[in-house]
Amino acid sequence: MNLDDYRALFLVVTLGLALIVASPLFGVIVPFGGGSERFSEFWLLGPSHMAEGYPFNVTAGEEYRVFVGVGNHMGGSEYYMVSVKFRNSSQSLPDITGSEPSSLPTLYEYRFFVGDGEVWEMPVTFGFEDVVVEGDFLVVGDVTVDGVVFPVDVSAVGDVERGGCFFQLFFELWRYDVMSESFRFDDRFVGLWLNMTGS
Amino acid sequence: MGSCSKFFVFSVFLFLLLSVSIRWVSAVDEDVVALDIAEAEEVLGSAYGAVLEAEEAGANVSGLLGRLNVGGEYLAEAYVWIRLGVFENASRFAGLCREVVEDVKGEAFGLRDEAERLGEADFVVRMVGSAVGVVVVLIVGFVVWRVFRRHYHKKVLGLRPEVVSGES
Repeated sequence: MNLDDYRALFLVVTLGLALIVASPLFGVIVPFGGGSERFSEFWLLGPSHMAEGYPFNVTAGEEYRVFVGVGNHMGGSEYYMVSVKFRNSSQSLPDITGSEPSSLPTLYEYRFFVGDGEVWEMPVTFGFEDVVVEGDFLVVGDVTVDGVVFPVDVSAVGDVERGGCFFQLFFELWRYDVMSESFRFDDRFVGLWLNMTGS
Repeated sequence: MGSCSKFFVFSVFLFLLLSVSIRWVSAVDEDVVALDIAEAEEVLGSAYGAVLEAEEAGANVSGLLGRLNVGGEYLAEAYVWIRLGVFENASRFAGLCREVVEDVKGEAFGLRDEAERLGEADFVVRMVGSAVGVVVVLIVGFVVWRVFRRHYHKKVLGLRPEVVSGES
């Protein structure tokens, strides 16, 4: 190596060290690490807090329990709402591709705030009252969620192929939009199919 | 008109008056409760907006989020009860929500201002520290280079054989 080579080496090393020393300032001026995907998780677990043992064959007068949870990976605190709805197999489900929630009325709801990287989870107890069999139809009069009774009067015809009367209890995830100052359906829902029998 | 007839007409009149009055009072109650809930929702939403601003400024907002959560639970209860037509409960929960959340906005703005002040101070420290650090690195690099060059000249050029002119 001649002197010019040493000069170039010194220059590179000195400038490299200068950049390292100045990096805290660059960290303030240039935003790093903003490219990660932002999303919300939404899950439903069975009574043993596992993804198994979900209630399926249900009868009037019994209580069932599941866990519903939300994980926030949106890069900041979020304000969520979980809307609990009940339907038979012919009533409307949320349309995820069109960002449309189900048109069915909300029975129960949860509103909560979750910090970035944190989760919210809640046990949900539900049951059914006033279940009446009318010929081929089974009519559910009331749904109870966390001890509150909601009149629904939803009926389903017996499904001969699958052998039962099927209903669905489902949960929609909504997220608060600060700009519009209102909740928007977050294109996520989870649900339980239930084979109902009278008491 | 006999006293029986008068009593009958008066009773019918009273019944009609009562039924109309009760319906009217009930409707007003529902409207008032709906307004209570809308107000609670607005208070909660604006408090959340303030908390977000504080969070973006770098403040620790976990305590405020806890209080917003309590307010959110009350508001959800208020919505549940108004849907079921139990207006008294709905109004009570809407009031509780407002009570819990009404101070959050002011506290969030306080935290935001403090975080912004700290952020500015941190920026100045970083800027001055970085500038001084860069200058020190450049000066040290230059000095080391001068020392190295002198050493190089002394050592390498000192080893070079001398060329004497006129000898063959």
